[in-house]
Amino acid sequence: MLRASAMTNETEIDIQGINGDGEAAATGIKFGEELMSFAEALAAGESAPLSSSRDALLAKAGAEVLVDASGVAANFQRMVRIADSIGIPVDNMETELGQQIRKELGISSFASAKNTLA
Amino acid sequence: MATFEYSDSQFPIRDDIKLAYREYWQTLASPGSWWSGEQRIAIAREVRNAGTCKYCIQRKPALSPYNFEGEHDRSTSLPAQAVDAIHRIITDQTRITRNWIEKNDSQGLSKECYVELAGITVNVFSIDEFNRALGLELEPLPEAQPGEPSHYRPKHLSEDIGFVPTIPLEGAVEAEADLWSDRTANVLRAFTLVPDALRDWIKISNAQYLSIEAMGSMFKQEGRSIDRMQIELVAGRVSAINQCFY
Repeated sequence: MLRASAMTNETEIDIQGINGDGEAAATGIKFGEELMSFAEALAAGESAPLSSSRDALLAKAGAEVLVDASGVAANFQRMVRIADSIGIPVDNMETELGQQIRKELGISSFASAKNTLA
Repeated sequence: MATFEYSDSQFPIRDDIKLAYREYWQTLASPGSWWSGEQRIAIAREVRNAGTCKYCIQRKPALSPYNFEGEHDRSTSLPAQAVDAIHRIITDQTRITRNWIEKNDSQGLSKECYVELAGITVNVFSIDEFNRALGLELEPLPEAQPGEPSHYRPKHLSEDIGFVPTIPLEGAVEAEADLWSDRTANVLRAFTLVPDALRDWIKISNAQYLSIEAMGSMFKQEGRSIDRMQIELVAGRVSAINQCFY
């Protein structure tokens, strides 16, 4: 969806931001590095990095962005567990864009890939 | 008693988020399809217990998580299979298997009960994670409402995806006609063995993320301070840390 939204908005981005590369996250995305670090800290579950990344995002982007980013991050803490608790496969493995992104991100080694690839 | 007032918050939390959480807290406290209100609250309490469970912490790096001996730190009197299911969904969800769900089904945790339990688990977890993201205290759990579960099971089910029966694309009719129209996705179908479990997460997702309709637009949505690329960067990083292939 990140690649699709960037294409729609005719913006050059670097998908490696999803893999935790700060410079890549900032490419074409406003507050990208701070948003990525904040999302990473929440999902990793460590309180100290979460606190510092929250402060950094708040200082750089403001409270409204922090609240909306918290909602999205919390939502995806749920979505990944919906997918994996039921073992649903990816809907369409055939799209060229999807294949390219999975290859670039190297996610086929994830344990839950078995629900699609097995 | 008023819930999700966020009066201690220094941040401007949107009204639609507060409303979605309040509505879910009422739903959580009421009898569901397969669990009573009291049991649903117990599931929520166990969600909050899972993150600090010593057994889960020790089991997480184990190569064989289904042969790892020990007992969960539990905070409720829920059946052992239910406690284990809640803890796995929170702490080790990528290694959930069909065999484990089938085994639970034969030992008393039916697939219907599992799906409702999973729905409660992920909804409570995501609401709690929102508060944790902002450094806020967790909302006290609501008082359970009396009543019996409905034991509602949809008529149109198939076993073509995932570990449990789900409603197929063409099965969203009659009582399930509101679930989708002419298109769906596996993530929407996932919890449809208990249709209310899907309805519940969609309401929360509308506030935390985007409505189903808005997901089709890649432009910035009214009422949001971040654009679609910013949203998807956050979504993607959370998914990557959780090692979610879907």
